[in-house]
Amino acid sequence: MRFINLFIILYVCSIGMTVSAQTWVVPDDQKTVVAPFLFTPEMQKQGEQIYLKNCQSCHGLMGKDNWAKLTPPPGDLSKELAQKQPDGELFYRITVGKAPMPEFRNILSEDERWWVIAYMRSYNPKYIQPNPATKASFAGRIVTLDMKYDDLGKKVVVTANEELKDGQSVHAAGVEVALFVKRFFGKLQVGELKTTNDKGLAIFEFPADLPGNKEGYVEVSAMVNDPKNIMKTTGAIATLAIGKPTDMPSLTEGRAWWATRGKAPVWIILTYTLSVIIVWGFIFYIVYSILKIRKVKKINL
Amino acid sequence: MTMDDNQFTFDKITSDLTHHIRINKGFLIWMGFLTVSLMVCLYAYSIQLRTGLGVAGIRDYVTWGMYLANFVFFVAASLIGMLISAVLGLIGMKWLTPITRIAETIAVAFAAVAGLVIVSDMGRPERLVYVFLYGRPQSPILWDVTVITTYLVLSLLLLFLPLIADMAIIHRKVDRLPSWLKPIYKVLSLNFTDNPQQNKIINRAIRTLLILLIPAALSIHTVTSWLFAVTSRAGWDSTVFGPYFVSGAFVAGSAAVIIAMFFFRKNYKLQNYLTDLHFNNMGKVLATVSLVYLYFNINEFLVPGYKLKRADAVHLHELFAGKDTLLFWVVQIGGLILPILFMLFHRFRKPLPIMLISVAVLIAAWFKRYIIVIPTQEHPFLPIQHVPQNFVHYSPTLIETMITIAPFILVLIIITLISKFFPVIPLHETAREKGIEHFKFD
Repeated sequence: MRFINLFIILYVCSIGMTVSAQTWVVPDDQKTVVAPFLFTPEMQKQGEQIYLKNCQSCHGLMGKDNWAKLTPPPGDLSKELAQKQPDGELFYRITVGKAPMPEFRNILSEDERWWVIAYMRSYNPKYIQPNPATKASFAGRIVTLDMKYDDLGKKVVVTANEELKDGQSVHAAGVEVALFVKRFFGKLQVGELKTTNDKGLAIFEFPADLPGNKEGYVEVSAMVNDPKNIMKTTGAIATLAIGKPTDMPSLTEGRAWWATRGKAPVWIILTYTLSVIIVWGFIFYIVYSILKIRKVKKINL
Repeated sequence: MTMDDNQFTFDKITSDLTHHIRINKGFLIWMGFLTVSLMVCLYAYSIQLRTGLGVAGIRDYVTWGMYLANFVFFVAASLIGMLISAVLGLIGMKWLTPITRIAETIAVAFAAVAGLVIVSDMGRPERLVYVFLYGRPQSPILWDVTVITTYLVLSLLLLFLPLIADMAIIHRKVDRLPSWLKPIYKVLSLNFTDNPQQNKIINRAIRTLLILLIPAALSIHTVTSWLFAVTSRAGWDSTVFGPYFVSGAFVAGSAAVIIAMFFFRKNYKLQNYLTDLHFNNMGKVLATVSLVYLYFNINEFLVPGYKLKRADAVHLHELFAGKDTLLFWVVQIGGLILPILFMLFHRFRKPLPIMLISVAVLIAAWFKRYIIVIPTQEHPFLPIQHVPQNFVHYSPTLIETMITIAPFILVLIIITLISKFFPVIPLHETAREKGIEHFKFD
């Protein structure tokens, strides 16, 4: 009897372990999270674009059951297994991921993740969206930045305005501001952090040799530095003709080794074609002369 | 066993070199065995064709597995036609005459199959035609396809031209041929009557081919090496990869020729034509090309080993004292250094010992390609996180192994057919060299 008991215990344990290894538990407080806005057809369209770029390679096209053959199977997200989960659960899974499903925390913004859910839900006629979450009224400072370029002094002037509780707008002093220009990957900070003065101004010297596009345009943005997240801030962004006009042709624009067939370097095309023509010319000549061997006899006889 | 030249008469040479041209029981059994084996391997390929390349052990890390090692080996073995016929032949080495056709047969068989080997690595083989339709002239892949096709055609012509005279002799002089074969020989002999004008055309065509063959053969293996050397992967990123591959190819090819010589001599009773002298000389050729290959091996490992750039260090450690150690040292010592030492002695260049050495060299040559192609891919520059073990450690599957064996069977079938229906040793040329100037073509 003991053996049987032991066997049953081991059996149950092993099944339990297998199941727990395969399930993906979402914390209860995350399940109840709801979107901060009502889904619109616009959002579904945006969500579709994001889905095709980030999700479709594994989950396949919605409703087509053509997901990738992986373990565990990714499944079709228009089907019941995915659709029966509340929004919060889906949002959590997209956010944190679980190998082989990647985490999208740093790849898609919160809004973008909700748009994907909006797109998924468009395949579920029975879905009724729960009321969107309303944020509690904000108690901290509400700061908005504005940006100007001072042509004479070659400076970028950032103005910080603060909205008071009574709706009045005043200059915000003591706000830390950072200035950036957009580059190929991410942003380049210009100068150091500046704190706004009594008039709400932070003034940045702008380097004269910063490369811009062909016309010298650069995208400049100002942001409030608020690491403790105690303010509600709106940055400023502007495209200004203050960079050095730079014409950098794309590496694939001209003829190159790495370019497409139509843009192969001329010398390669010539070398390749000539080699083929010369060698095959000889081959055809040899074949032709072999055929002549037959005729020699006829002449001689 | 050797005979004086004046003991060779035209009839004796003809009979000696053509008596194997008949369909006997041994041939049928051998071909039956090859055909059945090929069918089994083709079945394995049909599984891959249906289910995809996942049935092979290749994964995201090692994407070029045994199939690519096999491809390099086949291209390598085909290069021997150029060494024997063109390089040594143009220098004027007379002793080569009985070996040239064997070398050309091997060249044709391996070159023809090399193209198929690369198809075995394609998940969608029907897209091969895209290389021709959309190939970029900048891509070594297009160059490779071009030069291999060219080399195959050149080798076929070089095999065929000396056969014209032989077939003219056979269809006139050999009576006991199967009746269906005679007309084929007659057509292929192109009305050859040993007319000086005809000989002139043939000789000139052969000379042109031999000269063309040298750049073409150098190209096929150099371009194959570039498929690797144009990447910056440790172990492939090398400027001597071209000559390294070419010299390695001569080693593999010479070994293949010696093995073939041994079996033809025994089975087709050619002891009077493929003498100890030929084995001795081929042994010297193999020793010479092995020394050259050893020289390139030292270059390939000593220079990066001295600098030890990070990726090279990992790669060399795996080869010298890591995961691939056993295979690496067995191949380098057993397949290169020991054979060279043995071949320095005359007694090891006798037919049987040199054949056994060649078998060892040839097997090592295949595994050498395996070492060149696979280990470096197991430690990539940008490793992926949390990958399954089968990404990191490549282990070939049974189906993959069968698909890798299939080309060898095909090569054996091609060599068997060519050697069975045509003289293994050039008939017309041998007779000339034995002093028989003109045949009676009536």
